[in-house]
Amino acid sequence: MVLDALLERRIVILSGKGGVGKSVVGTALAMAARARGKRILFIEVDAPLPASRYLGEAPVGGKETEVRPGLSMVNLVPAQVMDEYVRDTIRVDMLSRKVLDSPVYRRFFAAAPGLPELMVLGKIMVLDEERVGWPRRPKYDLIVVDAPATGHGLAFLRVPLVASNAVPVGPVGHNARRILAMLRDPARTALAIVALPEEMAVVEALEFHRLMRAELGIEARALILNGCHERRFTGAQETEILRRVGEDEDGRLAPGVTLQAALAAGRRHIRRRKLTQFYLKRLKQAVDVPVVPLPLLFTDRIDETALETLARRLEAA
Amino acid sequence: MSAPLQALSRALDERRVLVVCGSGGVGKTTTAAALGVQAALRGRRALVCTIDPSRRLATSLGLDRLPDKPRELDLDRVAPDRDPAGSLWAMTLDTKRTFDALVEKHAEGAAARRRILENRFYQQVSSALAGSHEYMAMEKLLELSADERFDLVILDTPPTRHALDFLEAPERLMGFLDTGILRWFLKPYFVAGRLTLKVATRTGAFALKLADNVLGLQFLQDLSEFFLAFEGMYAGFKERAARVRDLLKSEEAGFVVVASPSALTLDEALYFHRRLEENEMPFVAFLVNRVHPDPAQGFPATRSAADVDDELAEALVDVFQDQRRLARADRRSVDRLEGLTDEGAILVPEFEADVHNLAELKETGDVIFGVGTGRRGRGRTSPRRPAASGARR
Repeated sequence: MVLDALLERRIVILSGKGGVGKSVVGTALAMAARARGKRILFIEVDAPLPASRYLGEAPVGGKETEVRPGLSMVNLVPAQVMDEYVRDTIRVDMLSRKVLDSPVYRRFFAAAPGLPELMVLGKIMVLDEERVGWPRRPKYDLIVVDAPATGHGLAFLRVPLVASNAVPVGPVGHNARRILAMLRDPARTALAIVALPEEMAVVEALEFHRLMRAELGIEARALILNGCHERRFTGAQETEILRRVGEDEDGRLAPGVTLQAALAAGRRHIRRRKLTQFYLKRLKQAVDVPVVPLPLLFTDRIDETALETLARRLEAA
Repeated sequence: MSAPLQALSRALDERRVLVVCGSGGVGKTTTAAALGVQAALRGRRALVCTIDPSRRLATSLGLDRLPDKPRELDLDRVAPDRDPAGSLWAMTLDTKRTFDALVEKHAEGAAARRRILENRFYQQVSSALAGSHEYMAMEKLLELSADERFDLVILDTPPTRHALDFLEAPERLMGFLDTGILRWFLKPYFVAGRLTLKVATRTGAFALKLADNVLGLQFLQDLSEFFLAFEGMYAGFKERAARVRDLLKSEEAGFVVVASPSALTLDEALYFHRRLEENEMPFVAFLVNRVHPDPAQGFPATRSAADVDDELAEALVDVFQDQRRLARADRRSVDRLEGLTDEGAILVPEFEADVHNLAELKETGDVIFGVGTGRRGRGRTSPRRPAASGARR
C-alpha cells in the first residue's frame, strides 16, 4: 500500500541524515518497483561508492547504466552535469571547449553558490522528461533519487526556491521555477524520508518533514525506519532472560556460546528492540504519513539477497 | 593507555582547536560534545561549536535549540567535584547572522553596508545555500579561537565531503577572487551599468556572450552586483582566510577523524586522513563509534551444559551468533583501517541506549577514555600497531 503511493509517481526522492542507509533503501525500493515490471532509474549524487556495488557490479558513473534488465543506475557528478549543460547549450564544439577549458569557468562553478545543486536537479528533470520510441513514451517509469543527506539535503532541495527568488529572469531563474514546480507536483514527485531508530536520526527526520512542508510546500509520502530490531523472543522468554542475566549460572548452550554470554546478548537485543519500538511509536505520533519499518540485517555486507529481502518488506508494507 | 588515546588525551589538554570530522551519521556531533565535556572536566574552558545546519548538537546536549552565541552549560549536576577552572560552552553557527555580522563589521561605510545587506542575491545566498556555511565557519572559527573566554574550541563539521569543502573554503574563495573573474568580464559589464557587450576586452565580450547563453545576463548582473558590493572587503577576506589556514596547519590545531565500522565511512576516514597529510594538517586520532561488541568477550568458556529449555536456547544462540557476525565484520573493517594507515583507532562500543543529555555525554566520554562503567559497556581500544611496512611519515 505504501509502495503503491510511492510508485504511482514519476519520481521518488529519498532524504535523511547521513548514515541511515538511504542508498540501500533506495536500491531496495528500485528493486521492488522493478519486480512490478517497471523500468527504473536509480540516481545517486556524487556517491563515493555507488550502489551498483550491492549488486556486484562495477561503479556506475555519470552515464546511465542498465545493471539489471529494467534497472538502470547513474551517479551524477555536478561538475560533469554542468559541462554537459554547457555543451548542449552552446552546441558549437569549438566554442564549448573554449568555455570548458577556461580556468574562470572552473572556478566560477566551484564558487557560485547553489549552481551545482541546481544543475543536478535540472538533470533529474531532463531525465524524467526523456521520451523514447514511437509512440513516444517515457524512457523510465520511475526515477528513484538518493538525495544528499539532510542538513545539506534540505539545502539541496531548497536551491530551486532560492534561485528563483534570487534570479527572477533568465535561464537560471526559468529552470529553477520549472524544477520547483516538478518537486511540488504531488502527482509527479513523492518524497520519502529515511531514518534509523536513534535519537538524532529521528529528530532530524521530523525536522526535515516539517521544513519541507513549511518552506517548500512538499509533503512526505512515507517515513522509512531502517535498521529496526525485530522481535526474537516471546514475552515470557524476555522476562526469563532479564531475570537470569545477572545470576551466577554456569554452562553453555552450544560450542563457544556460554549461557551468560548468550543471556547478555539477549538483553542487548531486548534493549535495542525497545528503542526501535519507542522511536516507531514516536514517529507515528508525530507525523501523519505511513511509517514503514525495515529490519536490521545481520549480514557482513549488503548483497542482492539482502536487497531482495528489503524489497519484499517494502512490498508487504 | 593506548597510543591513539594518549594522542587524544594530550590534544584535549594542549590544543586550542580540535576539528571533529568524518562522514554523515557516524556520531561526530555526540563525539564532539563528549570531548567538550571531558576537556571541561580537565579544567579547560571548552567551547563546542557545530557548523552543521541541522542543529544536532542541540539534541546531544538536551537543548531544543542552541543559540548562535556561546552559552555556558551547567556542569555542576554531572560533575560536582570537577576542576573548578573548567567550563563548557556550546553554540551552533548561524550562517546568515555570521555573514551579516561580518558585513556590519567590515563593510566600508554605511552605504556599502546597506548595498550588501539589501542585495537580493545576498539575502538569498547568505542564509540558504550550501557552501556559504563553510565560508562562514572559517570566519567564525577565527573569531572564536581569539575569544578569551575559551582556551579550546571543538568544531563539529558537516559530513566528510562538506568537511573537505570546509578545509578548502578559504582557498576556493581566494582562488575565485584571484582569477579576477570580476576584472575579466563581470566588472566592466556592470560598471557600464546596462545590458551591453561593450566590455574591456574581446575575450571578455566573447565570454560574456557565452555566459549569457548558459546562465543569463540577469543572473550575472545580480552576481556581479553582489561581488562588487563586497569589493572593499576582499582584502580582509583573503587575509583572514590565510590566517585560518595557518591556524589549522599549526600545532595548536588537531583533527579527530570519526567513523563507524561500515566500509563506506571507513573509506571516507581513510580519504580524510590522506587529505590531512597532503595539506600538512595535524591528525590526532581515528575514533570508530558504534563498534558492535563481541558477545563472547569477557565470558570464560565452559563445557557443562546449561539448564535452559530448548526453544529459548535456540533463540538465544541465534541472537548471539547474529551479534557475533556483526562484531567480526566490524573487527575486519577496523583492522583494515589500522593496517592501511598504520595508526591505531579508538574503538567506542555501540551503546545500548541513546545519548541525549549532559550526564550521558559525560559517560560517553568516560567510555571513550576507557573508564566508563555501567550499562553503556566498557571502552576498548586496540593497541597501536607496530610499524609493519616502514614507519609512517
